[in-house]
Amino acid sequence: MNRMPEQIRDDFARAKRLEWQTLFWMGTVVLAMFVTMGGSQAMRSALIEDALSLVPSLTFLIAARVEPRDPTEKYPFGFVRVNSLAFLVAAVALSAVGGFLMYESAMTLLMAEHPTVAPVEVFGHTVWLGWLMIAALAYSVVVPMILGRMKLPVAGRLRDKVLHTDALMQKADWQTGLAGMIGVLGIYFGYWWADSAAALFIAFSILRDGVTNMGTAAAELLDGAPRELGSSAISEEAKRLQGRLERLWPEGKVRLRESGRYIVGTVEGVDPPADPPKLEELMGDDPSWRLARLSFSPPETLRREDVG
Amino acid sequence: MGIKGKAFLPPAGAIASAAILIAGLAACAELPRDPNGTTERVRRTHAIVLGEIAGAPPSRHAEQVLDRVAGRLGAHVRRVDGHGEDLLKRLEKGEVDLVYGHFAKASPWSRQVHFGTPLGRRRNVDKQEQVPRFAFRNGENGWIALVEGEIR
Repeated sequence: MNRMPEQIRDDFARAKRLEWQTLFWMGTVVLAMFVTMGGSQAMRSALIEDALSLVPSLTFLIAARVEPRDPTEKYPFGFVRVNSLAFLVAAVALSAVGGFLMYESAMTLLMAEHPTVAPVEVFGHTVWLGWLMIAALAYSVVVPMILGRMKLPVAGRLRDKVLHTDALMQKADWQTGLAGMIGVLGIYFGYWWADSAAALFIAFSILRDGVTNMGTAAAELLDGAPRELGSSAISEEAKRLQGRLERLWPEGKVRLRESGRYIVGTVEGVDPPADPPKLEELMGDDPSWRLARLSFSPPETLRREDVG
Repeated sequence: MGIKGKAFLPPAGAIASAAILIAGLAACAELPRDPNGTTERVRRTHAIVLGEIAGAPPSRHAEQVLDRVAGRLGAHVRRVDGHGEDLLKRLEKGEVDLVYGHFAKASPWSRQVHFGTPLGRRRNVDKQEQVPRFAFRNGENGWIALVEGEIR
């Protein structure tokens, strides 16, 4: 059974299409980069970053298959948080690769290794491989920029962190491509260090993405308050909901947490009302599907407030 | 569903424009510059220092390539004899401009020096196979491009 709320099914289907397109187009980018790689360290880092950028798309697609499933005996609360788990795994992988690449480029820089980029034969013409690298890098800038811009609004409507981070990372991919091009142009002008310096910059951007994502994933694993997409600030939507709930039950303690793309609320120290308002009414002008559940705990059932 | 069509088109356009841009750049491009100035030094001193591994004199093809490179730079070839390892070490330090020998692409030296394309008629050789070719100092991309250009 598909448990995805009616209101976001179209956007969810669209997000899945966009992620399949991402896999295809980024696959062509990775291939173009691989074919032209040569001896440039910057190009190598950029290739690894582009290959890694497939991970959030894969994560999203896998999570999208699991998330709408029914709860089971072993997972009585269902699978809505599966993409948070996948997101954390991806973030850790990203940080590890970023750290490794930083070490590698720093060593290349310190050892003063001079990158060799030799000419190659293309259709009977001898071309300096550097020009082909720059072409591949230019392609690697355009594709993710377009895809990132297309995904960003969909991610916002779906309140989807994986998709949002994926879109932001792709939108920022022009920096990687540009750094790579500067590295290769540096080789052309005889500045051997430009290449490993560019590689270092790219590695740093991978590491930064990884660390930011780890923070976002951790907030949800710790049952944090609902956050804005792409920042650690508490979401305005959640603040408005909190206000409404507090006005309705001033004697209770209202706590909200995030579960996947949904908000789960508890009003503690209050007996369940005989005629509770509809969840739709509680959300006001905000999308009503976001509030997935609201529960009440009577005062006598409370023992510890630090266990949700 | 119009989305799908839109999403697939721009990258195709990007490939085309990037290809045109690069073709344009490549057409007017000069050779890359050497960080250690090998090409410039050869031009200035009128001498190409060639390392010849004892017992493996350059083939006729290699000699023709050397003649053409020397002709282009107004230089002559100064030959230095030695053993393989010794010459590759001197190449790494920049005391020799080129080393001629039978080298495999997968040689343990392939990180320290750059092995050029095979000089024989066969272009597709196994990585482990030792074939006649020039070895260059790493990163001297202009010099490598100049010599390789004369091989092809």
